[in-house]
Amino acid sequence: MLFLEGVPLFYLELAIGQKMRLGSIGAWTAISPYLGGLGLASVVTSLYLCLYYNIINAWSFWYLFHSFQPVLPWAACPVNSNRTGPIEECERATPTQYFFYRETLNISPSIQENGSIHTGQALCFLLAWLITYLFIVRGVKSTGKVVYFTATFPYVVLFIYLIRGITLHGAINGVKYMFTPKMEELSNPTTWINAATQIFFSLGLGFGSLIAFASYNQYHNNFEHQAIIVSLINSGTSIFSSVVTFAIYGFKATLNYENCLERTRIVLLNTFSLAEDSITIDNVFEWIGKLNKTYPEQFAELSCKLEDCNLESELSTAVEGTGLAFIVYSEAIKNMPLSQLWSVLYFVMLLLLGMGSMLGNITAIITPLRDFKVVSCISDELFNGVVCLVCLLLGLGFTTSSGNYWFTMFNDYGATFSLLFIVLIEVITVSYFYGIKRFDKDIEDMLGHRPNWFWKIMWAGVSPLLLIGLLLFYVINIIQGGTPTYQAWNKDLGKSEQTEYPLFGLAFIGLLSVSSVSCVPLTALYVFWQRRKHAQRHKQQCTVNTVAA
Amino acid sequence: MLSPINLVSLVKKRQFFIMLFLLQYEWNRNEKFFFQAAIAYAMSIHLKQEFSVSDVLVCNETPRVSFWFVVTSPANPLLLIDKANVEMAVRKSRNRINSALLLSDTTMEFVGAMPTLAAPVIPATPPWLIVFGVVIGLTAAGIVFLLVSTVVQKKRKKNQKADEEDDDEEERVKTVENGSRSDGVYNASFSDDEPNTQM
Repeated sequence: MLFLEGVPLFYLELAIGQKMRLGSIGAWTAISPYLGGLGLASVVTSLYLCLYYNIINAWSFWYLFHSFQPVLPWAACPVNSNRTGPIEECERATPTQYFFYRETLNISPSIQENGSIHTGQALCFLLAWLITYLFIVRGVKSTGKVVYFTATFPYVVLFIYLIRGITLHGAINGVKYMFTPKMEELSNPTTWINAATQIFFSLGLGFGSLIAFASYNQYHNNFEHQAIIVSLINSGTSIFSSVVTFAIYGFKATLNYENCLERTRIVLLNTFSLAEDSITIDNVFEWIGKLNKTYPEQFAELSCKLEDCNLESELSTAVEGTGLAFIVYSEAIKNMPLSQLWSVLYFVMLLLLGMGSMLGNITAIITPLRDFKVVSCISDELFNGVVCLVCLLLGLGFTTSSGNYWFTMFNDYGATFSLLFIVLIEVITVSYFYGIKRFDKDIEDMLGHRPNWFWKIMWAGVSPLLLIGLLLFYVINIIQGGTPTYQAWNKDLGKSEQTEYPLFGLAFIGLLSVSSVSCVPLTALYVFWQRRKHAQRHKQQCTVNTVAA
Repeated sequence: MLSPINLVSLVKKRQFFIMLFLLQYEWNRNEKFFFQAAIAYAMSIHLKQEFSVSDVLVCNETPRVSFWFVVTSPANPLLLIDKANVEMAVRKSRNRINSALLLSDTTMEFVGAMPTLAAPVIPATPPWLIVFGVVIGLTAAGIVFLLVSTVVQKKRKKNQKADEEDDDEEERVKTVENGSRSDGVYNASFSDDEPNTQM
């Protein structure tokens, strides 16, 4: 995916930005006036991203601030009101899940029930937007200096975590699991769609942020090298961080497995009143067999209490997305010695990465809008402030009780379809409407040499075909998959269960996907109509002139 | 006299089953004595009567280290204290019993009794607010500083321009005629206005 889609498209977007020296709307309008909608679609998608992305930073801040306590709040369940035991919801779930769903989000049982705004969340959200504004207040100059830090420091933290992770007990199980390929997953086209969307998201293709940043480059900047280097570093970092993630994941799975064995051991000891050291963790399974043979009836009574301890199943409880970062990882962190330090380090890294991403997203909105004459009169600071304020107010909806469900909806449906569509149109436009030959000459003008035949084959042939294939798969999946569902947190059971979206939720999903994509045809129609009007008026004027003359 | 069956059922109702594990020491007669003394202490505090070690009877010990125990009244050795009272006594002084035996709520289980957990320590200001206050204060200070410095810079530029315009008008005209921009590489990141070359 990286070599077939990622690098060629990255190269393409950088070239366009650097050549046109305009944000995404202006750049595409310059290529062809009918395609201004493409830039607009990018801006709309980036706007959606901006709205919901900063809530992740808000959560990271919340966790970061809560790490400054002698005992991490997600390490143990809080005591209930009459002090007889832990709170029931926390007991049914795990303390980390309880902390995330109840204390961080105060989540409602379904998307229909809107609660009130969680004040702590709202405060952290405000802080996230203030810091974003601080970084972009002077425009791209300040952004450039900030990313020196936000891009390099996470590598330091990641390295520290790598050393810590590998030395953890049981980490090797996780790394082994990561490197064993699962053939059934690889043959599933959904995996490839997810890989493609991940590459787009990771490299920032289709959002307009690449065009925006490239437009500030010097005209003769060698972006070919930069495109290749950046893409390779990006993917290298992904692999590096996944080794770290799986090491810590293996630690957590091994720990859960051993805790499960320990609990089984205690149950066996208690039921059969054996001495303390007769059963150890290693021979639990032998003892189960022995006891089953010698006391079958007693054992049968026990079997409902005995849990099935399996390392494989612990490892394959795959959690992804926000759940991985906030639930699984915090659970692993609480078991490490000196957990406060590791927690602070981890969430600082998450924040830096998240803030860095926000900078790209916001720049992708601001740069194209600044190209309009109406806006360029307003000063940099004021305009950036207004954009941040608007996004802040709209994003407050994500801090309500049902906010996480809306967040998941935006996350799953806000960008995938739009990105695939936008990138496909981009590639087809440049290859066929603008012309590969013209594009060639432009690149020669900027770099001094023509692009390799590899790039041309990618742009004109392979990438569009692959993208069309992916788009078709995606649409077919959606149609075949039935009503979209989301994971609703059931506080009585203490776990998430799949619930279908209600009607207004489905309508909103449709609106999200269609609104950005429809910009392309709508703008084309608008420009076409405008031109006809002008042509007619011009004709009238000509006839008037000739009559007058 | 009560019949043996009634006696047994009476005793069973008042019996307390306890399990201890992860002991840091070997369980022997002396430790049992220590446990009996701790229970007698708890009962004395709760019922405000003087209980002695012989009032706590232990039976059915297993190598798991679990056993049943009953508490008899100091006044009448045949009268058993009912479970509710024993439970309350244990709950009240649970902390002391735990520390005496070097155990905790999880390692010493009184089966059937509700554990009393320590009251959560609630500080006056939640600690996260303090850190939050610091960070948001710094951010606000940073924003104000940047905005103020931008305004100051603009004013300075305006004054400078007003002075320079009179002096350098001729010089500037010359440079436009002589040199052209394509000689040097225009580095956009260090200028104040971003150049947008129109197509």
